[in-house]
Amino acid sequence: MNKEKIVEVLIHNIREVLPEMDEYSFQSEDTLSDLGADSVDRAEIINLMLEELSLRIPRVELAGVSNLGELVEVLHGKLQSA
Amino acid sequence: MVSAGIEAINIFGGTAYLDVMQLVKHRSLDTTRFENLLMKEKAVALPYEDPVTFGVNAAKPIVDSLTEVEKNRIELLITCTESGIDFGKSLSTYIHHYLGLSRNCRLFEIKQACYSGTAGYQMALNFILSQASPGAKALVIASDISRFLAAEGGDALSEDWSYSEPSAGAGAVAVLVGENPLVLQADVGANGYYGYEVMDTCRPVPDSEAGDADLSLMSYLDCCEQTYLEYKRRVPEADYRSTFHYLAFHTPFGGMVKGAHRTMMRKIAKAKNDDIEADFNERVKPGMIYCQRVGNIMGATLLLSLASTIDNVRVDSPKRIGCFSYGSGCCSEFFSGVVMPQGLEHQRRFGLQRGLDERYRLSLDEYEAIFKGNRTVRFGTRNLKLDHEWIPGITNAFGGRLYLNEISEFHRKYVWI
Repeated sequence: MNKEKIVEVLIHNIREVLPEMDEYSFQSEDTLSDLGADSVDRAEIINLMLEELSLRIPRVELAGVSNLGELVEVLHGKLQSA
Repeated sequence: MVSAGIEAINIFGGTAYLDVMQLVKHRSLDTTRFENLLMKEKAVALPYEDPVTFGVNAAKPIVDSLTEVEKNRIELLITCTESGIDFGKSLSTYIHHYLGLSRNCRLFEIKQACYSGTAGYQMALNFILSQASPGAKALVIASDISRFLAAEGGDALSEDWSYSEPSAGAGAVAVLVGENPLVLQADVGANGYYGYEVMDTCRPVPDSEAGDADLSLMSYLDCCEQTYLEYKRRVPEADYRSTFHYLAFHTPFGGMVKGAHRTMMRKIAKAKNDDIEADFNERVKPGMIYCQRVGNIMGATLLLSLASTIDNVRVDSPKRIGCFSYGSGCCSEFFSGVVMPQGLEHQRRFGLQRGLDERYRLSLDEYEAIFKGNRTVRFGTRNLKLDHEWIPGITNAFGGRLYLNEISEFHRKYVWI
């Protein structure tokens, strides 16, 4: 899966958890906290990403990721090495 | 093989509590966010309450319900805590004294963050199952008090940590383990455990704690899944949805449990959203009722959720409860037991809900005053005399409870009021 597709899946999942983001234009510097996601929301978005990308990795490996751009990079890297 | 499990369970959810939403508004935190986190009340330790008084007050009604002969068969007393008051001397020594237990009894303490209560319970079960001392009983007391003030300085480990204040509680759960497990019969060998090194939350200095909320939640979710998969490897016929009539979770706050249950149901049971909500209300909510009124009591939280489940469901036939325990750092376990109808009758005598209903509701000024002006007893206090009349009349409102009276050359002295 290429990065563009991962971005698409990510935006879909963020909107799934945070419906108020429906019209928002996402930037790679945005953090999930800035977008209004609390710790439970953030974990839910990560869960949905792992499920949809069929990635079987410990969630703790994604805990330190700071923004959306970095999250896409890390997920892409994990998919390459999976 | 002899059966083993819980003969009695009792909780102590504090003398005083604070309304969580009142605190959230006062701290100018986002109230809608907190509604999703499903917190209601938090128990607050008064200056003259410590993990010893909480532990004794949880265990005393159980000990009082025993005959002298039964009481003298308590040969193992394990305290489970991350709020120890001494690096060497364990809480169990004080608790043993104030409960008046037999001297032919092992006394020690277990630490592994919020997993400690489970560690203690499992060790007690194994002591009974080993039959090294047939007929003996074990008393497991998990007791923890929050030191919610975040460790100052640093960044990653204290970021977002102000959000933990509303969830941080104080409380204790006492469990009598023996061969006559009327309340919960353990499923022997049905245990999935899972642990590894991670720096999610910790108490690296006295009287304070630090943590990374995201890392901790991710680790909790990883463990929730891995412990169940290991349980299922050992019990192949287990089915996440149908084997367990109820599920008790380690409950730092309700929203976290709701998220974990949703993840497990979607991933393991392949359930859809509407279905998950109904399942949550039926199987998980009973275990959250008391947790929402006491707050996170760390090592005692899973046992509190178990007690809440047992106390808030109708049991007309044996029902299996699945329990998930997680302690930062980390170690975790999924295990199960069967609650018996006759055990519930036995349990009712402890009036768990009444104990919570009768607590004193603190005003915000009283709450803030506890943590100002050195009212809190710090770790390592050498000499101190406690003022029980700081909030007039509060200790006299309840019969037969233990409170800290003074500290004399580090030795804590307690008094029954």
